[in-house]
Amino acid sequence: MASVLLRAKRAGGFSSAMAATAAISRAFASLSVGSDIISAAPNVALQKARTWDEGIASKFSTTPLKDIFQGKKVVIFGLPGAYTGVCSAQHVPSYRNNIEKFKSKGIDSVICVAVNDPYVMNGWAEKLQAKEAIEFYGDFDGSFHKSLELDLDLSAGLLGHRSQRWSAYVVDGKIKVLNVEKVPSEFKVSGGEVILDQI
Amino acid sequence: MAPIAVGDALPDGTLAWFDENDQLQQGSVHSLAAGKKVILFGVPGAFTPTCSMKHVPGFIESAEELKSKGVDEILLISVNDPFVMKAWAKTYSDNKHVKFLADGSASYTRALGLELDLSEKGLGIRSRRFALLVDNLVVKVANIEEGGAFTISGAEEILKAL
Repeated sequence: MASVLLRAKRAGGFSSAMAATAAISRAFASLSVGSDIISAAPNVALQKARTWDEGIASKFSTTPLKDIFQGKKVVIFGLPGAYTGVCSAQHVPSYRNNIEKFKSKGIDSVICVAVNDPYVMNGWAEKLQAKEAIEFYGDFDGSFHKSLELDLDLSAGLLGHRSQRWSAYVVDGKIKVLNVEKVPSEFKVSGGEVILDQI
Repeated sequence: MAPIAVGDALPDGTLAWFDENDQLQQGSVHSLAAGKKVILFGVPGAFTPTCSMKHVPGFIESAEELKSKGVDEILLISVNDPFVMKAWAKTYSDNKHVKFLADGSASYTRALGLELDLSEKGLGIRSRRFALLVDNLVVKVANIEEGGAFTISGAEEILKAL
């Protein structure tokens, strides 16, 4: 918990203008520009958003990170929770509405990840009509975010252990751009428009 | 903790929900159930079938009948956060009486001894499927399923007991 407060204090020195023009590197966290996301989180897999029936049919298969990132240009963003305010009203739409621009910049996939189970992610993705544009994955036990030190205790907001609000541009597993909000209720640096300018 | 059984006192715990004014509330189970006849039923997860397609609708459809037989409250709990429970509740547009309550950290489910590890399915620690009839905080009926089956935990079984 102390490290989260320290991170927040440190990040408070950056203005959002700086964040918009340069990738933020956090020297004391395991993840920063230049990190390899696959080796930062070995043995971690994500679960593609799915219905229960799809889960049964696929034998509840998981997707290893290398399948998502190796040899690809990926824009990935993470958020505190499906069906919550900023996540639903602003964060996801900022990517969904700009999908053509991402494609024209050669991005192979735009991915949304949250500490929710893949069935909730699926229900939410359908509600936001975003499944065509964005691939939704569940980090159901938070292990992906913990490995990247992007986890956050939101028990005060009755969400339990979740993640920060963040976005990244990852090429062949290497992080080129990393944006993390100072507090997850803010939506200043992690949106689709911001990262479009950074790619 | 052994699973809750007939004759047991209903343990207390905290659950969360969004009220009619969309405000996030947290309340104790005892404050919801003391002095009343309540049904408390639980499901492994919001937005997964059996829960969505059979168990929950059964209680929604039988709510009037259950109330006419003296049931004061019909409470649904699941190990999900209150945002997810609110969104899930909205998918049942004809629901008038069933209250969707969030046991986000599974602490109440554990107090009932009804936790189930569904990590392999990507769900983590959840609740078994169950239905309890509780009269002034004493358990009168305890129908608890094995795994995710749906045989005895529905509304019909509770109706028979009333």
